[in-house]
Amino acid sequence: MAVMAAPENTPVWVNTDRCKACDICVDACPAGVLAMQPEATSVLGAMISVIAPEACIGCNECELCCPDFAIYVAEKKEFKFAKLTDSAKARQEAIRNNGYRLPDEYKEAN
Amino acid sequence: MAFNYDSYLRMEKMPTLWCWGCGDGVILKAFIRAIDKLGWQKDDICVVSGIGCSGRFSSYVDFNTVHTTHGRTVAFATGIKLANPDKHVICVAGDGDGLAIGGNHTIHGCRRNIDITLIIIQNFIYGLTNSQTSPTTPRGFWTVSQKVGNIDPTFDGCKLAEAAGASFVARENVTAPKKLEKILMQAMEHKGFSYVEAVSNCHINLGRKNKMQNAMANLDWIDSITMSKKKWDALPEEEKQNYLPTGILKQDTEAEEYCEMYKEVQKAHQGLRGPITQDDFEKKL
Repeated sequence: MAVMAAPENTPVWVNTDRCKACDICVDACPAGVLAMQPEATSVLGAMISVIAPEACIGCNECELCCPDFAIYVAEKKEFKFAKLTDSAKARQEAIRNNGYRLPDEYKEAN
Repeated sequence: MAFNYDSYLRMEKMPTLWCWGCGDGVILKAFIRAIDKLGWQKDDICVVSGIGCSGRFSSYVDFNTVHTTHGRTVAFATGIKLANPDKHVICVAGDGDGLAIGGNHTIHGCRRNIDITLIIIQNFIYGLTNSQTSPTTPRGFWTVSQKVGNIDPTFDGCKLAEAAGASFVARENVTAPKKLEKILMQAMEHKGFSYVEAVSNCHINLGRKNKMQNAMANLDWIDSITMSKKKWDALPEEEKQNYLPTGILKQDTEAEEYCEMYKEVQKAHQGLRGPITQDDFEKKL
């Protein structure tokens, strides 16, 4: 199997040269790990960012549904992934309702 | 560690030219993972594509590739397969490319049951040329060529392939990439003509004018019109036409494969056997 080395201690990482900001991965994530950030140089004015790596459950959904080879998830044996919590679910719901951008109240928390 | 698609891609062509969120990319990824699982050598694979967004498929993969004329994927692939029976030939076509313009070639590929895998990327529209009605566009949809709503009856490619004699027929969604990968693997392993319809999204040219402005809305719509074959079978007869069944719809491992039969023609020409007569097929008739 063709494999790619993961950056050290990283559950999920992105290749921003390939991301077209389609929002699909943000929609697919169950734990609110991903969100779009404003990015003036991108065609759609947004770029993917990993906002809560500690909440990643390693479900691989974002990697499977990304059409542009832009997002990767580490293997379960390499990284100790979190369990899905209610606060993660709430953050995901808030991101989804905010047009896939990180809502302001979460920005302050970070 | 993560799956490295880059070793199967032509890096100078990256990033892809497809729109943001296009299902073609998900199908390409599932296809690459399937090839990786099968463990086939890159030089043993030939990917043939026609014209349309799906035509880009062959440009991105680092296999032997042919980017052919509109709709003629199966015709080119038949020639490639007959000349190289030990290679794996995979065709990629869109619903316009493979069912409208190339519908005739698709039928005859199915009829011969030649060992080719045909992946039809079904997005219900002519995407590349900006939303003209394709044979699979649902009725009542807005298209550039039918601006007051499409009145053409829709076409089920899987039923066509089954009836024309393809020995493996399956359908899967881009919303289920793991299942798609498995189906593609089974289709490529199958000896005989395999028809796989990958239902994909085109939120740019289908969705934008049909109340599905983003990829997620289009994907939700795809989920709402498809269901697994098991569930579909249990539906009452009058409701079946409202849904597209997914999964393996036909698998016939007994059907004779064309390249095998063609060896007999070669033998006859080399004087190793007499002419082929109806008696040779008698037990099959």
